[in-house]
Amino acid sequence: ASNPFTFPRCLTSTTTEEKDWAAAKAHFENLKSTKPRPPKPKYAVTIAVSSRSLFDMVAERKIFEEEALEKYVQHQQEHENEPLKPGPAFPFVKALITVNERLRNLYPDSEELFDIVLMTNNHAQVGVRLMNSINHYDLTIERFCMTGGQSPIEYLKAYMTNLYLSKDSKKVQEAIEEGIAAAIMFKPDVETQLSDTQLRVAFDGDAVLFSDESEIIVKQHGLDTFFEHEKQYENKPLAQGPLKCFLEALGKLQKKFYAKNERLNCPIRTFLVTARSAASSGARVLKTLRSWGLEIDEALFLAGAPKGPLLLKIRPHIFFDDQMFHIEGAKEMGTIAAHVPYGIGQKYNKGKLTEPEKQQK
Amino acid sequence: MEDKKNCTGPLMIALQYNDLFDLDSISTSTDTDALPKGRAFTFMKAVQTVNERLVEQNKSDCLLFEVILISKECSEEIKTKIVESVKHYGLEIGKFFFCKKEELINTLQSNKVKLFLSTERDDVYEALHTGIPAALLYDQADDHVFNQLTVIFSGDVIGFSEDSLDGLSEFGFSETQIETIKTAKICMKEFAVLIGQMRRRFGQENSPLCTCVLTSWGSRNVCASALKTLREWGLDVDEAFCLAGAPCSPILAVVKPHILWDGGLLNMS
Repeated sequence: ASNPFTFPRCLTSTTTEEKDWAAAKAHFENLKSTKPRPPKPKYAVTIAVSSRSLFDMVAERKIFEEEALEKYVQHQQEHENEPLKPGPAFPFVKALITVNERLRNLYPDSEELFDIVLMTNNHAQVGVRLMNSINHYDLTIERFCMTGGQSPIEYLKAYMTNLYLSKDSKKVQEAIEEGIAAAIMFKPDVETQLSDTQLRVAFDGDAVLFSDESEIIVKQHGLDTFFEHEKQYENKPLAQGPLKCFLEALGKLQKKFYAKNERLNCPIRTFLVTARSAASSGARVLKTLRSWGLEIDEALFLAGAPKGPLLLKIRPHIFFDDQMFHIEGAKEMGTIAAHVPYGIGQKYNKGKLTEPEKQQK
Repeated sequence: MEDKKNCTGPLMIALQYNDLFDLDSISTSTDTDALPKGRAFTFMKAVQTVNERLVEQNKSDCLLFEVILISKECSEEIKTKIVESVKHYGLEIGKFFFCKKEELINTLQSNKVKLFLSTERDDVYEALHTGIPAALLYDQADDHVFNQLTVIFSGDVIGFSEDSLDGLSEFGFSETQIETIKTAKICMKEFAVLIGQMRRRFGQENSPLCTCVLTSWGSRNVCASALKTLREWGLDVDEAFCLAGAPCSPILAVVKPHILWDGGLLNMS
């Protein structure tokens, strides 16, 4: 079966596009501020964030859900000049911007940077408050897409999105089905102090970096069969999962620092946090990564132990996992968790098969 | 609802017949009763939907779209064919004008056309240059929905300051081109005011009219400025896209606008 996560991203450049690009470049260079201009999308790692992931809009959301759309838009307009508070994806976005600063220092002419796009279903009038809030925190977000109610999925493709973060599980699921790495953001219950010099990203293994093929074996045949299977197929690489390409993109940027002798001071660090055990099923994972030419800075095998305490030590800006059980564990202990609604794990809750009607929202 | 004294209609739009009908495929067309459908067809259907919905809300609404057809010189045979074809397809065309190319601008001016739509960039640019509000009739896919008319306004034209527009000369734009862009902004305002009034007759959801701002080059502040300016003109746009240099054709392919007001800014050679 074809893996949807390997679809290529290519765009033929036309003279019109080149002209638009040159004009934007000229405009930014003419601006009196020191605002850096956004990179060329085809070379950039594009992260699309929804308004509710970037900012805390819980109170506003309540108005939207309980009252009419008009009331919600009116409320936003009335409070237009009040900046919104940071949301779950805010620290991650700030960390991306920090990496960009370091990259621009080392490679002033390169377009290989993070590009952040605000991708929201919101009405354009709400956009003014969003832009004011972005101005307030001085975030380098220059690209926006306010769809006024339309689905953002086609726009994600149009903006060449590499990773989409949202609080809306339906949209995230759709994005994953379309082959775009995506996750549902959760705000932690407690706030944790995070690094402001290094972007730290933690990934679960199965059904996040890798496909859910092995997880299917655990769920359907139990752990013993799983261990046997993984040992037997140790040298056969696992298929790709939804977040593999994002790890790859991070790896490419990391190599740019290594090339300039900045390995010890690299502002990107990646972690694998897996329930697999190093002894019985860990080898296959490491060999798979190697076969893909990917490196991960730290691989942590928990052998089934809860992930929360370990994540607290790692303090990632974002932690991707496919199972809500782990997401909740992480969240409770103060880690910003992002749920990847992919694979067989979605049909289970705490190891038990849920009935079709009881599927997660 | 709206006061009757606010009536400023109709909103006159001019189309060229070679956009309404596809003259290139006449020879291959099997239908001898009418000319083959052209690129403006989905636009016409969308406009008719808006009018129907406006009248549904208020029978005596006079701010409705009115479409007139302009044709450069052609034979009597073609003239008849055009009128017949319009009738055949049930298109609501108010008036027909057959005139020489040189008379085009005069015809538009004397009929108080609020918008001249064409798929030809050169025609749009020429009209703007003489102060006639003109926009691009964007090429639509055949399967486009008919129940909504989508209009895009250029955030760059509206949001850029005078200085920034003047600064375009360093980027290879001629004086004439820059003046045309400034004129386009004035033309856009008049049209935006009317569209704003029309848009307010519908709620935020299920509107047959969808308005957008697309900022191709400018930074987020240019886009914010465009949104606020349009709001001052009485139009609360529904959607906004800020590209900061990213290619716009993928976005346009998703939005699928009928009317694209770019002031001649995009795609200038």
